[in-house]
Amino acid sequence: MKTMLAKLALAAAVIGGGLQAASAETANIWVRADGSNYMPRIVDAFNKAHKDQIKLDIIPNAEIIPKYGAAAAGGTAPDALSLDLIYTPSFAAGGQLEDITDWAKSLPYFASLSPAHVKTGTYKDRIYGLPFSADASVLIWNKKLFKQAGLDPEKGPTNWAEIEADAEKVNALGGDIKGFYFSGNCGGCNIFTFTPLIWASGGDILSEDGSKATLDSPQLRGAIDLYRSMVKKGMVPEGAQTDTGANFFAAFAGGNIGISPSGAFAIGALNTQYPNVDYGITFLPGKDGGWSSFAGGDNFVVTKGTKKIAVVKEFLDFAYSLEGQTILAKYGSLPVRNDIAKDALKDLDPRYQVAAEAMAKGKTPYSVVFNDLINSANGPWTQMVNEVFFGDDVDGAIKNAQDTMQSIIDQAPNK
Amino acid sequence: MASITVASAPARTRTRTGVGRRQWIGLLYVAPAVALVVVFFVIPLGMTAWMSLNNWPLMGEHSFVGLDNYAAILHDTRFWNALKFTFYYTVVVTIAIFAVAFPLAIFIERPRPLTNLYRTAFFMPAVVGFASASLLWSWLLNVDSGLFSPAAFDLGLTEKKVNLLATFQPAFWSIIAMVVWKVAGFTMIILMTGLQSIPQDLQEAAVIDGAGPFARFRLITLPLMRRTLALALILSVAGSILAFDQFYIILRGGPRNQTLTAVYWIFNQSFVSFKLGYGAALSMVLLVILVALSLIQLWLLRKPEGLD
Repeated sequence: MKTMLAKLALAAAVIGGGLQAASAETANIWVRADGSNYMPRIVDAFNKAHKDQIKLDIIPNAEIIPKYGAAAAGGTAPDALSLDLIYTPSFAAGGQLEDITDWAKSLPYFASLSPAHVKTGTYKDRIYGLPFSADASVLIWNKKLFKQAGLDPEKGPTNWAEIEADAEKVNALGGDIKGFYFSGNCGGCNIFTFTPLIWASGGDILSEDGSKATLDSPQLRGAIDLYRSMVKKGMVPEGAQTDTGANFFAAFAGGNIGISPSGAFAIGALNTQYPNVDYGITFLPGKDGGWSSFAGGDNFVVTKGTKKIAVVKEFLDFAYSLEGQTILAKYGSLPVRNDIAKDALKDLDPRYQVAAEAMAKGKTPYSVVFNDLINSANGPWTQMVNEVFFGDDVDGAIKNAQDTMQSIIDQAPNK
Repeated sequence: MASITVASAPARTRTRTGVGRRQWIGLLYVAPAVALVVVFFVIPLGMTAWMSLNNWPLMGEHSFVGLDNYAAILHDTRFWNALKFTFYYTVVVTIAIFAVAFPLAIFIERPRPLTNLYRTAFFMPAVVGFASASLLWSWLLNVDSGLFSPAAFDLGLTEKKVNLLATFQPAFWSIIAMVVWKVAGFTMIILMTGLQSIPQDLQEAAVIDGAGPFARFRLITLPLMRRTLALALILSVAGSILAFDQFYIILRGGPRNQTLTAVYWIFNQSFVSFKLGYGAALSMVLLVILVALSLIQLWLLRKPEGLD
């Protein structure tokens, strides 16, 4: 009996460990579901080329934060995770992340890393997160509908008046065709695609350090009037008013929408899933021209006290190589190293170049209470966008959101 | 006197050991149940009570803050508003459920052709989980690809597709309709068992005495169903005060945060704002409110003296 058990154990050891050298280590990494396209590809490529291995877990978007918190409390947190960049300040403030300042600054291409990511990855002058994946907001238009409406299909709108005029012409085609689409009950979607209209016109909704809410501005008021006017003229489908983001991409992909603010991710998604939709990509413009973009994506953060930090660094080095950046770009993320972005994108759809430029000059709001202020479905920002686009009392809604946001900021722990 | 004491002492000891052994065996039999209750109710409850006295973020260190969380609740107007809405919803939905379930119970109580089919059909939605039912209805209610709005539009009842979830009244009543659809069958079964336990001869005697159907319902059926009503009422009220799934899945607390319930607010504080300690304190407050409400209902529906 004993010998049989021993044989079994030996067999298990051979099967389990025989394929890898004994000294190889495996680090565990989490990513949210948004990364489920590119992340497995880059992890596979890494595992094939390296002795050390990465074990990847994909977690649903809405659950990754509470799940990570619970795992960290129970001592079973992954060694590292790819984290929506806007959460980096609050995670760092929570004392959960490893300080990687020295390593980050030793990277020869540190200065070329996406500034938006590095900014949100920095908390009290120390670096806790480095850029991993990137997505920038852009404006997309349907070339086929533009042509039908008698517009130049190769020329997207370059200011607010053109957005409304073009949408109105497309809308006049009638039937199921509508001029414009946005998710009217989604805070995350609108911080991504609506605030760039304000930024490009010289306004902002938060002060630079995130300590003041600055909603009471003519630029915000102007952008609201643009959306309200299009809603009032019936250029936006009814469903937009209650869309919490489920239709953010699907509405345009259906082929019946003239213009919609969206993200770089739409390029990959449209090309692979909706090859029949002929679309153009341009920047989100300001009132009288100019442009801006929300630079979003994931920061790579390391759990405090992990023993596998060497493997994690090896993986990130690989992701930053030209090979890694090309894999990421091919499967739906923009490059995060600006010095080699052009090389990584050179064989891909040329429309990526617009998005890459948007990313490089994009902006990202900074706040340790971003979730409470902006993304929460019941937060002040989400409530305000719904009220100001569809409600009657615009001034009251703005004032209410301004007061609520300021009080959330003031009450935040570890400001 | 002394001899009696001496004589009775050993007897008492013997009795005590006998009872003791029986008690120990009894304890042994209930031990699994006690263990379940301790592990899954008492310990979590104690843990919640302890967390409510701490500043307990989802990440990072927690620190003892005494009653600060409870003091903060006093000024948390959004919680009190959520509670107010929860009570409003509870009253409306409970009345609606009983208004539908009682006639259904009376309808299916007596054997008649196809009774079993009706019973099954009415009870069916009760076996669907609340979350799945909510997902189903959120698509039925969708303005572009759902059932109700497009159907009303295609039939020419409305001029354009009406977004039912965009304003408070239609959104709120849509939820009420969904909950009634989902829960009324279950309440119906409870009420039916109560109806069936009323002796038929009482009704017959009343008929002979000349009582009409309404008088029989008021003077015989209702009083004899006290306990059943109490059970159905407590289940309905407790379930409604803890409502969360349907408002989270179908409405996201909207339109414009007008349908945030108390549990929704606790969820937001705990897992959106990551304030677990504060969420725990809110849970304790809600627990006290719920226990008090249940006691009041039991007291109101207690068995009156002299009634069998």
